[in-house]
Amino acid sequence: MNMNQNKIKKSNFTLILVATTLFVVVTSIIGIGFFRFYMNHFKETEDETRYQRYYALITEERKSSFWQSVYQGAYEAGVKENAYVEMLGSNLSTTYSREDLMRIAIDSGVDGIIVEADETKQMAELINEAVDAGIPVVTLYGDSTQSNRISFVGVGSYNLGREYGRQILQIAEEQEKDRVKVSVLVNSYTQNSSQNILCSGIQETVENANKSGTDIEITLVSVDNTNAFSVEESIRDIFMENELPDIIICLNELNTTCVYQAVVDYNKVGQVNILGYYDSETIIKAIDRNVIYATVSVDTEQMGQFCIDALTEYYDYGNTSQYFTADIAFIDKDNVSRYLGGGEDEE
Amino acid sequence: MKNRFRNLSLQGKISSICIFANLLIFIVNIILIMGINRMSNEMEMVYRENLHLIELSDGLTAVQDNMTAYLNVKTSDALEDYYRSEQNYSQMVQELDDDVTGRTFDRMERNIKHMSEKYLTAVAQTIEAKRGRNVEKYRVRYENATQLYDYINTYIYSLNNEQFINNSENYVELLKAFRLFETISVAVMFVVIVGNVVIIIKLAGTIISPLKTLATQADEVAKGNFDIELADSGAEDEIGVVTRAFNQMVISIREYIERIRLSMEVERNLKEKELMMEAHLKDAKLKYLQAQINPHFLFNTLNAGAQLAMMEGADRTYQYVQNVAEFFRYNVKKGDETVTVLEEIELVDNYIYILNVRFSGEIHYEKNIDESLLGVKMPSMILQPIVENCVNHGIREMAGEGRIKLSVYRIDDVVCISVRDNGIGMSQDTIDKVLNGTYREEELAVGSNGVGMDNVIARLKLFTESDDVMSIVSEGKNKGCEVIIYLQMKEREEDV
Repeated sequence: MNMNQNKIKKSNFTLILVATTLFVVVTSIIGIGFFRFYMNHFKETEDETRYQRYYALITEERKSSFWQSVYQGAYEAGVKENAYVEMLGSNLSTTYSREDLMRIAIDSGVDGIIVEADETKQMAELINEAVDAGIPVVTLYGDSTQSNRISFVGVGSYNLGREYGRQILQIAEEQEKDRVKVSVLVNSYTQNSSQNILCSGIQETVENANKSGTDIEITLVSVDNTNAFSVEESIRDIFMENELPDIIICLNELNTTCVYQAVVDYNKVGQVNILGYYDSETIIKAIDRNVIYATVSVDTEQMGQFCIDALTEYYDYGNTSQYFTADIAFIDKDNVSRYLGGGEDEE
Repeated sequence: MKNRFRNLSLQGKISSICIFANLLIFIVNIILIMGINRMSNEMEMVYRENLHLIELSDGLTAVQDNMTAYLNVKTSDALEDYYRSEQNYSQMVQELDDDVTGRTFDRMERNIKHMSEKYLTAVAQTIEAKRGRNVEKYRVRYENATQLYDYINTYIYSLNNEQFINNSENYVELLKAFRLFETISVAVMFVVIVGNVVIIIKLAGTIISPLKTLATQADEVAKGNFDIELADSGAEDEIGVVTRAFNQMVISIREYIERIRLSMEVERNLKEKELMMEAHLKDAKLKYLQAQINPHFLFNTLNAGAQLAMMEGADRTYQYVQNVAEFFRYNVKKGDETVTVLEEIELVDNYIYILNVRFSGEIHYEKNIDESLLGVKMPSMILQPIVENCVNHGIREMAGEGRIKLSVYRIDDVVCISVRDNGIGMSQDTIDKVLNGTYREEELAVGSNGVGMDNVIARLKLFTESDDVMSIVSEGKNKGCEVIIYLQMKEREEDV
């Protein structure tokens, strides 16, 4: 019996010895393994995929949610085509103008440029220079018709104008006034063709479809966008005047947000109807609070995607469609809840 | 491994435990140090790229400065400086990566590379135009180059900045990792040390446990218990040797004790045998003596004498001869049998009668007998030798009238038969000698039937299986003597 006990004791002992050794070894391995995993994981935080092509997206208002959304669409479409789209200048210490960024893009030898262009001569020259250097250029939102750009991606300005026109008529009907004053905020110093087309769209609709006989007066108000903060200042100037317009039409996100804030600040809610542009969270909330009458929702991601499509088609077939038109939709009090919910979901 | 460990010497075992424990800690330490080393390398890497970018920036500035200097003064020294710096920068640019990846740094690096190439071309063209004295051209080109220089500088600066921010973040992460690693290290070390302690305790336990067993066993043995389980650890160390030696010792002691026990038993048996032999010898001697008298002849002769006396009308002679015949018949017949007290008393009666005839009525014989005790069994030939002794040693040697008193009585369960004379008595020394059986009569007295006191005592002892069979009382010289024998009553009755 003693021998048995002895044996049990011995096997017990061996078990404990082996278990302890194993435990120690396993703990060490797990510790080291965990550490290694941590270190490797730590190193692989950034995407190190190599891309075949490198496209630059150039705009001035990089931070606005409109352009961020466009960029997102372009980026996602680009990744599918093995191309990396960069919002050029977003991580540079100096804030460069579009023209400077165009220079940088050309000198950096990117594979394609997507630029928010305008009808200036300088822009056209830069676009031409890029094309001469073998870089295809797609204009986005704003066109440069005189240049050799391969394609333009934007909203159909005439259609957009007509939509704005219909909204004006609707407001006029609701207000039952004899005379309705409409101000369209346009950027100064830019011979932006699309703005003109848009304005004529509004004009035509108002003239043709005005059944109530209300006198609708449409004026173009220039907003100074030549330097930083000037937009906000010139919009405030409008409110300083004695006679306020009944309807203000804004043609970009920044203007919309500024007008919205001004209306709130000068306590003109209900007195001034705002027709906005783009469906940023702020704007959607403003519609919900009855400050903004309606806004146009542009499928920004689609715009971004069209840019990449154009460039890809150009590289694949040597040619591409001259125009791409993004879908638009109006958001007003009736359907704002859908966007509001969507907006919250995105958060 | 286990066996090899067991076969080590004590020193070897202890050393191996220490070496094993230290080795374990050492290995874990080395691993931890390697980890720390790797981490510090990572930390160094964080700033290496920043340093590289600063070099690049310096190189670029050198090119720009040298170009400007040459445009200003147009000396060959400045030109040489320009070429040197241009060479240097171009080399640095060559080393830059040209990949487009998801990493911002990589793309910025690529842009710097491309722009730098353009810039170097522009600078070269500017220098060429200057040498060709084409003032218009070199001015324009200079401006182009300067613009590019600005862009590149911004890029390098931004990249540096971005990298620094990123690296700082990395550094924070690394620092966190470092802290984590520290915690893990401490935990691992703690586990290892605990494990080590357990292993050491266990290993030391295996070394010590045989010693403990041995101590317990030694304690048992010291208490006199040799019937212990002998355990052998089988280890080859000093403890194993001691254990085996101890075991061998215990076994030897056991064997020795067993031998002594056996020899004692043999001795006892021998003694028993010796006693038996003695008894037999005595018995044989008795038989021999008894056989010396031809009973038939003696009886026939005595009977013939008795008949003759009767025919002659000598009644007393007839009585006498008849008594003698009875006496001898009893002697022959009952030599080795158990008889009753009555029979013994009758024999004594016969004997006294014969003596009185021989010695003309000198002996006064008195009897005081409890009649109920006459049936009690006792060995034969007991009373007559006692009476004979009284007559021979007590009465015969005294002057005057001899008296013998025979009493049978009981004290509790003991039947006492007392023979008392008024003879010369016995000294205590003689009494002791008689009772011990060491008193030897020189020769058989005349008229004795040859049965001595020692034989009487021995047979009584055998019969009663008790040592307390007889006492002799003598009050002194010439004051007589009393011999009392004790018989256990109950046992006698059972025998009946």
